[in-house]
Amino acid sequence: MDPFFLIGVVVSAVSAALCIGAAVLRQPPNDITILSTAAVELFLLAYAVGAVIRQSTGDPVLGEGWEFWGYLLTALLVPVGAFWWAILERTRWSNFVLAAAGLTVFVMLYRMEQIWDGVAGL
Amino acid sequence: MTGIPDGDESATRRYPGASASDTDGVAPSRATGPGRLLIAVYGVFALAASARAGFQIATKFSEAPVAYLLSAVAAVVYIVATVSLARPGTRAYRISVVAVTTELVGVIAVGLLSIFDAQAFPSETVWSAFGRGYGFVPLILPVLGLIWLRRNRPGRSRI
Repeated sequence: MDPFFLIGVVVSAVSAALCIGAAVLRQPPNDITILSTAAVELFLLAYAVGAVIRQSTGDPVLGEGWEFWGYLLTALLVPVGAFWWAILERTRWSNFVLAAAGLTVFVMLYRMEQIWDGVAGL
Repeated sequence: MTGIPDGDESATRRYPGASASDTDGVAPSRATGPGRLLIAVYGVFALAASARAGFQIATKFSEAPVAYLLSAVAAVVYIVATVSLARPGTRAYRISVVAVTTELVGVIAVGLLSIFDAQAFPSETVWSAFGRGYGFVPLILPVLGLIWLRRNRPGRSRI
């Protein structure tokens, strides 16, 4: 199992859990939830760099290459979009929006890992 | 975030009396509170369904044209729903109702067909098996959407 993938799964799951927790406690987006979303984005950037390095050092994508990169580029936009959408109206619901970003990235990472390993097509 | 950006209709309309030049009459924004989460999830599905349909049509359209065209229809429905839910006004409201209802009918019809007539749907779409591949969110989403639209129908006084 790719350690990158494991870190990403943990980061995005923890972020989603924190954001759901804050929303349940009726908190508007605060430093914790916003920073946790930022951590997801930061991870994705690191993951992208890692993927470029893996790709160029003899551990290429086994599935469809452009599908993987499409997923990655889209995933990079998700926390940014969620942050923008959440900050426009700061209510507890915005934390659910941030949580949705974490969950979305979680699922997308899982799918990216499948593509990288060449497991099953779309 | 203290200031409301100029020209942001949805932001100004949230405040009673803020929109004197309102052409739609009473048009409360639906992009507030739980609606924001709803729109965000719709946005994710618009993205996911578009990407999936694009990929399927670009790479293997001839394998299952009906299923892939359906993917494209689903993508369009999600895009229209996302945009119309996010926009204020009565016209956007009506478009939302049509889009979300289409989505509900689509997910139920395709869900039933994909189970009872698997031959017609050899390939997965967002709506196959009631959206099982997406955690059944495609089935729950339009129900929540219609409830949200009903609670926020035009002319109903706001809380």
